[in-house]
Amino acid sequence: MKRRDFIKSTSAVSTLALVGGLTIPSFTTKKQRHITILHTNDTHSHIEPFKANDNRFPNRGGVARRATLISKIRQENKNTLLLDAGDIFQGTPYFNYFGGELEFKLMSTLQYDVATIGNHDFDNSIDGLYKQLPNAKFDFVSANYDFKNTVLDTHIKPYKVIVKDGIKIGVFGLGIELEGLVGKKMYKETGYLDPIEITQEITQKLKNEEECDLIICLSHLGYYYKNNPNKISDLNLAKVTKDIDLIIGGHTHTFLPKPTIVKNNEGKNLLVNQVGAYGVNLGRIDFYFDENNHKTAKGTTILV
Amino acid sequence: MFLYNLLAFELIKNTMKISHIICCFLLLVSCKKTEQQLTKITAKNIAIDSIIVPSTKINQLIAPYKEQLTSDMQEKLTFTPVKLTKQNISMQSTLGNLLADLSIEMANPIFKEKTKTTIDFSMFNNGGIRATIPAGNISKEHAFKLMPFDNEFVVVTLSGDKIEELVSYLIKNKAAHPLSKNIALTIKKDKTYTLKINGKNFSKDKTYTVLTTDYLQGGGDKMNFFKEPLKLTILDYKMRDAIIDYFKKVDSLQTDIDNRVTIK
Repeated sequence: MKRRDFIKSTSAVSTLALVGGLTIPSFTTKKQRHITILHTNDTHSHIEPFKANDNRFPNRGGVARRATLISKIRQENKNTLLLDAGDIFQGTPYFNYFGGELEFKLMSTLQYDVATIGNHDFDNSIDGLYKQLPNAKFDFVSANYDFKNTVLDTHIKPYKVIVKDGIKIGVFGLGIELEGLVGKKMYKETGYLDPIEITQEITQKLKNEEECDLIICLSHLGYYYKNNPNKISDLNLAKVTKDIDLIIGGHTHTFLPKPTIVKNNEGKNLLVNQVGAYGVNLGRIDFYFDENNHKTAKGTTILV
Repeated sequence: MFLYNLLAFELIKNTMKISHIICCFLLLVSCKKTEQQLTKITAKNIAIDSIIVPSTKINQLIAPYKEQLTSDMQEKLTFTPVKLTKQNISMQSTLGNLLADLSIEMANPIFKEKTKTTIDFSMFNNGGIRATIPAGNISKEHAFKLMPFDNEFVVVTLSGDKIEELVSYLIKNKAAHPLSKNIALTIKKDKTYTLKINGKNFSKDKTYTVLTTDYLQGGGDKMNFFKEPLKLTILDYKMRDAIIDYFKKVDSLQTDIDNRVTIK
């Protein structure tokens, strides 16, 4: 009680001080910070745009166009992160021919920051993925795949913390259960851990130990399974956990016109987004922060 | 910390100037980092379309890969004097017959090495054929268009009961699901049938080995008779690779509608 009152007092004092001409900029100027998150998922080796006569996506997509769009947004806001939610591999002969080399090189040139691993990223086996890692100048995160008995051990971290303009952003990854979806000979000794339990553990760590201002989950669990509603999915994960601000999803190739707002287990809103597949869309989420020296319980406005 | 609070609290009562300095000091030492409050979130999903000018730098990076891929994809592998399609003629198709026959031909040596026995026949789904092949030269590109999926060959050992289920499925479905020439199925008007496999009458008491894909074995296209086989042999051989290997092996493609399925 005392502390809260005291903070109120200091606030009053500060205002008075300002009137009195005793200006200390770091204290009196409130800086607004702006972080832009760009994301893709399930690009599936779609390097070139779809042909004009394509049935589903005529003239859409293409990495060279994505590059232009991303660099334009980066010019607007240099505090931009570029993320991918997995299934980078498989879908065009580029993958069959070059094993993902070009996909990773292009993503590096586009300056992707972090990606997670999709089931199709095991299509040339875990060794095929490992072989391509030197071409990826970005990080992979996965919190619920246990790689300790595989070649990927130590190469994939559960999460990554990035600081942009003083804002600490924690990004962690979640993958879909591989058994029954990918041949065992492909994923080998990759262990699967429960996504909900791991999320609780990681978000606690990101919030309290790493003191992140923003927590993002890169998920390849899938948006939602209508015919199997209890199966773990982004919507289900969002509801039963806390402290996540944004889930960037993949796997189900769900074309969301805009992110879905979900209430977490504390009744707080978070966003779940997914941009279909094949790089025909780019997701963009902008987060605006105010410096908060006095803990006023101001809400967050979400405009989607 | 509490001490600072008390101290500062006391000082507020005193001169403004001093208290202000102390407060600033307090704030500096008490916050390891400035707390940030998330006040606003905006979001939109942006379409990537032809309005966006492609990056030259990226296209230059793609170019050598594209060149290599295109030239390799368009290299002539074989030739077909006629157009091959999946058009249903007496529950067969020229392309289906070709695929079923080349699959068993390419898969049998692998199966033989693994099990010392041979495959009795092959069966796939008509929906799995994704393109037609025009008359003329045939390249790898045709194989990719024909079979864009990475389906792998598997061999299922089925009981006679399951073979009967398979035939009932075919009769009910009426689609030109690819079957290899090892089969001679005659369907009568009253939906009864006679079935020969490799020239011998089908026997319900025997078991049969059937070549199909991992996709269909898993229940794809509702081919549930493949789901729980007596034995499952994984060949570790993609169907598309088999198609490419076969195209490389033969000078020209010879296939036709024959009597593997006869409708009376």
